[in-house]
Amino acid sequence: MSNSIDPEILEAMAQHRTSRRRFLGMGGLALGGLAVGPTLLAACSSGSSSSGGGSNNAGITVLNWPLYIEGDEPSTSATLKGFTSSTGIKVDYRNSIDGNESFNTKYQATLEKGDGIGADLIVLTSWNAAAYIGAGLVQPFDSATFPNKKNVISRLANPSWDPGRAKSIPWAVGQTGLAYWPDKVGGKITDVNAIFDPKFKGKVTILDEMRDTVGLTMLGMGTNPTTGTTTQMLAAVDKIEKARDAGQFKKVTGNSYTEDLALGDTWIAVAWSGDVAQLQADNPGLEWVIPSQGGMLWVDNAMIPVGAKNPEGANKLLNYVYDPAVAGPLYESILYIPPVTGAEKYMTATAQASPFIVPPATPPLYEFDVISPDVAEEVERAFVAATEQ
Amino acid sequence: MTAAAAPSRFRRPRREDGGDDSGVSARRWFTPWLLIAPGGLWLLIFFVFPLFSLGRLSLQDGGLSNYSTVISDNSTVIIRTFVYATISTLAAIIIGYPLAYVIATKGGKYKNLFLALVILPFFVTYLVRTLSWKILLFDNGPVVGILQSVGILNDNQGILGSPFAVVAALTYNFLPFMVLPIYVSLEKLDHRLLDAAADLYSSPSRAFRKITLRLSLPGLFAGTLLTFIPAAGDFVNSELLGSDRTVMIGQIIEKNFGKEFFRPELSALSFMLMAMILVGVIVYARLLGTEEIA
Repeated sequence: MSNSIDPEILEAMAQHRTSRRRFLGMGGLALGGLAVGPTLLAACSSGSSSSGGGSNNAGITVLNWPLYIEGDEPSTSATLKGFTSSTGIKVDYRNSIDGNESFNTKYQATLEKGDGIGADLIVLTSWNAAAYIGAGLVQPFDSATFPNKKNVISRLANPSWDPGRAKSIPWAVGQTGLAYWPDKVGGKITDVNAIFDPKFKGKVTILDEMRDTVGLTMLGMGTNPTTGTTTQMLAAVDKIEKARDAGQFKKVTGNSYTEDLALGDTWIAVAWSGDVAQLQADNPGLEWVIPSQGGMLWVDNAMIPVGAKNPEGANKLLNYVYDPAVAGPLYESILYIPPVTGAEKYMTATAQASPFIVPPATPPLYEFDVISPDVAEEVERAFVAATEQ
Repeated sequence: MTAAAAPSRFRRPRREDGGDDSGVSARRWFTPWLLIAPGGLWLLIFFVFPLFSLGRLSLQDGGLSNYSTVISDNSTVIIRTFVYATISTLAAIIIGYPLAYVIATKGGKYKNLFLALVILPFFVTYLVRTLSWKILLFDNGPVVGILQSVGILNDNQGILGSPFAVVAALTYNFLPFMVLPIYVSLEKLDHRLLDAAADLYSSPSRAFRKITLRLSLPGLFAGTLLTFIPAAGDFVNSELLGSDRTVMIGQIIEKNFGKEFFRPELSALSFMLMAMILVGVIVYARLLGTEEIA
């Protein structure tokens, strides 16, 4: 049907700056072309890897998410230009990752065979990065060429799935909290359970990303999304289902929550920091809050895949980005939390005051537990049944 | 059959003589295949092939039980999808048939202008058309305001998020697909048949039922297919204008296909959707009478 236009793609074109989460949704849409996709992609990637082979100064290939470098434009990015002029290494930077799931579909099988995918650096969300490390699809960093690894912020320095950050390092960190209209809800909101308050029945939207919505619900129930048990996660899903059956939610939605929020039809939304940063520019009355119980955090991690042609160059690029003087302006530009200690010092005063870039120490931010694929499937299924079916 | 055989004999008189030029006959035999080849190959690569792999995928991790799981898990969504698609198709007929009739019979020299007006919204992207409904129908918007002030909606009621918004938008988006085929079949209608009916003392309404409606059935049938099938598979209208209680099959597939463990079941769901549409179309064709459609 010619009418199945990818709404996210058009939206992304219409809005220059969109959050990376927006593109998560596109993964599913992009899968339409799956049947022929892998062969074409394999052809593309093998072509580029052969051209990149040879001397270590030849260059590196980076696969990253959109909007993760200045202006989303590799050719003008100050970070990439600075790196090339200081090391002589050219960077073939592609903002081509549009979803963890679609990335896996394209590349996982090749990596499992131990073959290269024509990339020296890939960036994946923690739960997926953990799976890649577990399956041995990535290689360890070289601490001699990447000494700045020590600059990683302490809260992200030692995840259970990659002790000491031997094989993965955060590239971008974002928050999930609440966005709301104070004039509609009648004042300030600090409690995450406001999304379940019958006063706001039919005026609340929640996200269809399980880890974000279930995580916030768990915080409201007094359980910890980082260390919680499967039972506690399913209890949160149950709470969401009951509220949905009672008509509490206007919508359970992905990227399109921003439209209703901007129109004022939604009073409170579970929202991603990157989206709210943009919405506030046009809607000065809109408030962003990390609830008193805490907010959710998501991390996209850079890793060197097996079969990389130039792992040394990849280590050098990460070392360059993890220099606080480089990271400061980079993260100020892309509006995400810098994972590099001391980067704030190299930002403008405005950026230092932004809750999107430098969130206050409290309330705390939690990353959803890196659960096993089986548990993930169980909770995801329950969540889909609770919110869609 | 006889009608098809007659002209072919007419076109190839030499064949009976036995003095046939074999080169020419070979080329004649070949021509239709040559003409089908581009479209056929295209469909083979981009339709049959993916369809086959989707079918294989739908039988992974559980075989046929994927089908029963997916039906029981999504029964509400499946029923809702077909109800929405049916209502919007009926609405498109109710709105579209009189429109096509008036343009075809009373349009006169403005026919082309009217047709252009029917197609005009299609110069705007599907998504933008749907999004503009959102701006029309939002809670603080003009439409809701008027309906609230005249008391049709109470102060807390809105339109966005309701089944009405989704069905209305589906109807709107696929309406031209209904109008155009009906117009084409009505346009060909020989008015002398109606004159004859009048001469034979038929009432206008009986003449309409026996002649106009019968002869426009192929258009109506084509229009129904062109409206119902995309409406049943649509995921944009409900996503943008609906709520979590207007979820349609297309949305479930679109949202979850990326999750690997869901893929076999969602492939099964896609097949179910296809099979149900096919059955619906066959039943519909039978009801209308296949001969009139062919």
